[in-house]
Amino acid sequence: MHRLRYFIGLLTLVGAIIAAIWIVRLLRSLDDRAGVPLSVEFRNARGLRAGTDVRYRGVTVGTVRSVAISGDGNKAVAQLLLAPIGAEHACVNSSFWVVTPRFGGLTGGATGLDTLVRDSYIAFYTPPGSESELSPGSLIAGRERPPLNAEPEALDDVEHGDLLMTLLVPENYELKPGSSVIFRGVPTGDVRSVSLAPSGTHVEVQLRIQREHRQTVTDKAKFWVGRPSVSGALLSGFTVTDLSALLTPYISYYGAPGEGVLVQDGYRAAAELSRPAFEISPVPGKAVQQDNTGKPAAPDDVVLVRITYAAVERDTFSADDQILRHGSGVLFLDRSGRSVVVTARSLVDASFTEDDAWGDPEIADEVTKVHRADGTVMRAHRVWVDPTGQDLAALVLEDVPPDLLGTPSDRLVFGGTVAGVPLQIRAAGPDGAELPIQPMASDLDLSEANLGGCVAADGKVFGVIGRKVGDVVAAIVPLEYLPADLRPQ
Amino acid sequence: MSEALVFRNFGLAHRRPGGEEVLLEGVNLTLPKNGFFVFIGTSGGGKSSLLRILAGLIESREPAPRMSGELIAFGKSLTGDRTESLNNEVAAILQDEGLLDELSPRQNVEMALAASGRSRKLAPALLAQAGLASPPERVAQLSGGMRKRVAVARALASSPQLLLCDEPTAGLDPEAAHTIAKLLREAHDQDDGRTTIVITHDLDAFEEFADGVLVLDRPARSLRLEPPEFRLKGQDAVAKATDAAAGEPAAVHWTRRMLLQLAAIGETIVDSVRRLPPVEMGQVVRTTVRFTLEPALFVAVAGAVIGGLATFFALRNNPIDGGFETALLTGTGKVATAVLVPMLSGFFFTARIAAGASARIGTMKRTNQIAALRMMGVNPADYLLTPLVWAMVIAMPLVTLCGVVAAALAAALATSAASGITMVGWATAYFMTVSAHDVLVILAKSTLSGYLVAVACYHLGSGPKRSGADVGESVNSAIVVGMALVLTVHAGLTFLVYA
Repeated sequence: MHRLRYFIGLLTLVGAIIAAIWIVRLLRSLDDRAGVPLSVEFRNARGLRAGTDVRYRGVTVGTVRSVAISGDGNKAVAQLLLAPIGAEHACVNSSFWVVTPRFGGLTGGATGLDTLVRDSYIAFYTPPGSESELSPGSLIAGRERPPLNAEPEALDDVEHGDLLMTLLVPENYELKPGSSVIFRGVPTGDVRSVSLAPSGTHVEVQLRIQREHRQTVTDKAKFWVGRPSVSGALLSGFTVTDLSALLTPYISYYGAPGEGVLVQDGYRAAAELSRPAFEISPVPGKAVQQDNTGKPAAPDDVVLVRITYAAVERDTFSADDQILRHGSGVLFLDRSGRSVVVTARSLVDASFTEDDAWGDPEIADEVTKVHRADGTVMRAHRVWVDPTGQDLAALVLEDVPPDLLGTPSDRLVFGGTVAGVPLQIRAAGPDGAELPIQPMASDLDLSEANLGGCVAADGKVFGVIGRKVGDVVAAIVPLEYLPADLRPQ
Repeated sequence: MSEALVFRNFGLAHRRPGGEEVLLEGVNLTLPKNGFFVFIGTSGGGKSSLLRILAGLIESREPAPRMSGELIAFGKSLTGDRTESLNNEVAAILQDEGLLDELSPRQNVEMALAASGRSRKLAPALLAQAGLASPPERVAQLSGGMRKRVAVARALASSPQLLLCDEPTAGLDPEAAHTIAKLLREAHDQDDGRTTIVITHDLDAFEEFADGVLVLDRPARSLRLEPPEFRLKGQDAVAKATDAAAGEPAAVHWTRRMLLQLAAIGETIVDSVRRLPPVEMGQVVRTTVRFTLEPALFVAVAGAVIGGLATFFALRNNPIDGGFETALLTGTGKVATAVLVPMLSGFFFTARIAAGASARIGTMKRTNQIAALRMMGVNPADYLLTPLVWAMVIAMPLVTLCGVVAAALAAALATSAASGITMVGWATAYFMTVSAHDVLVILAKSTLSGYLVAVACYHLGSGPKRSGADVGESVNSAIVVGMALVLTVHAGLTFLVYA
């Protein structure tokens, strides 16, 4: 019995000694490992730290072993160790740069709230056709910025609602990720990637059209690659038809208004060999009659929107709870010109409704989206909740399209009494379009059809459907609780 | 000097809080040498106490019995300001015999021989003389009578001038008792100049062998020598209730106790350093090997769980999704390697080892094995404390190393499970701020705490044990005190070095 225990103990001891030796060797003898050590100099290391990755095309192919100030104090030198697979791709004309933390979610809502900050790491790019590999121990000058022809990850992220399509071109024309896509001279998107088709017969260019412009792409639209073309003799002057193409090629497209159907993600089209001859349609007459901003006629009716709210409640002792809510809200412009949506707080604030046995619930990753009847989707964030505990909250929309109009101010009632008039419930359905008007029922519930919907009397909205204070039954929450600076003029 | 013992106006009292229990008063007695005496008297009268005084087995941690007058044994005074001890001149066979049950019967005798400077080869002869020509291999296999015989052989190994026996025939049938009594007389006769005193209730067994009867008369609080035919009369057998004579106040008594306890701690610490050079090398090596190998797996598993969980949860609960993972690893690696896992390894080691160590020592104390060691002239510290100190000082750092390495391995596993960091990346990040200096600090912490735990286990185990419950108590205390010492040393050194 004792012998067995001793034997096990001896094994453990020996195992520990071996493991300790392994760890020490792991730390010390990195030089002996198969791999290519490199030194890269930067003017600014931007928070790079030892132990982070070296990536090629998004794949980790090496490690940063140390970062130090160089001897003369002018530069930061990073010692890298590339794994064999990375060493294959590191060539004499590769560009190395530091990918720095990106802050998303503040402007443009690009990256979302879940990934705010990342470790800085080193990425490198090797132009195609490079042959001579870097020799071990080389000292390379790093770039301060990613090269223009860098991987797509250095570009803006694709946003929700953007159109992604593939354009087939006979040859690359030096199009690169980041090259512009232009409609009527206005950039509406960019090139995401360029690659040779597997069959080798053409080049496939992935395009991204931003969501506010996706309705410009129809199946009748024609695509071409804009290249510098010089016509006319040098002496008699020359015409450069595509000035911007003097710098980089771009893709342009055009479709006559009213023709064709909108396309879906994954649409594939073949580019014209050269710019097709067409006449750009003139400015429509009625556009002149509208005001300068070109907005369509203001609605005279209440504008309702559909609200979708998602959040995560973090639990210490169990799995996180996903929260998903749907409901409605009333959209209008406040006196500062902001697009405001008023709705029930219980719809857009999980901390108002969730209860944690341990105290205040921990709510994270809140995402609120507002859907309009025409299908546009916007992000919104909560700017105000009623401090007295009424179930009322106000959202402000982000990246508002220019044609957004809200409920006219004479349709909204803040304060006063409503008596003796039949009440109506107006709410938005799942697609954003308004549901049929319902008369107010005594047994009102807080279903998706009602929550956040507005209560109108005589065509004027004076309240929103939410929870009764301190209760879970439905009640009308009057708009008069909204503070003055959030009200329309 | 023809007297073995001289009592002059000798008084003996047990100290109690708030009073005293007087056992003897005004005894004037001379006991001649070379006599074989039977010592009788009612139970609780003080016979065992007197025997312990003569044998030098008084508990140093408790208030000693108060003696007055003079007691001179073989020319040395046992009372007064400068007491001398009888050392090798006395051997005692105590109740429970105190045979060292980790050794064989023969090794018991050999140990006594070696301690008194005689050849170990005499052991078989001594055992044969005691009637055990071929003893079993293990003490546990001895019957009651055989145990007594081994105890006699062992006691005779040092050729003592004074042989004391406490109830040597207890629990034996009349025939076996007679045999033992005869053995004792024969042994007495072989050695000129030996005085033998046998405490017994079994006068019948000894009646043909005794030269005289020492009587402790409890009611009269006296000690006198009677001729061999003497028998206790009925009424003398009944002990009268003793008056609680005025003694020292309770406060003094308890203060005395506390100071004696503190002095005992000091004595243990001094012993641990003074007796560091190993005397019983076999014990030291055996104990060291055992303390290193037995808890190794246990501590490694504990370290792996702690290191793995800490790393996993740190990475999983990173508030910055996917970002600064290497920074998290560096922090986790430093705290796990330099502080947390060594401390917890110390805890687990203590829990695993301290209990066993102090239980062993406590049981040896309870069964008079430690007294037997002292009687043999072997310092219990050499036999028990020194091996413990060496073993813990060597084993604790080694076992801590196992724990720390296991924690690192588990952290590597956790890292690959919770993130995409490679092994090289993990190693670089985890040990980025761990240096050789940290390793030295870990070594210092575990060595120091190992030493302190060893001292605590020995001290707590070797305190007076009156019952099995006392042994259990000391085990509990050893674990708690041991872990508190580990915590203090680790936290203290961490604070001093890193703060």
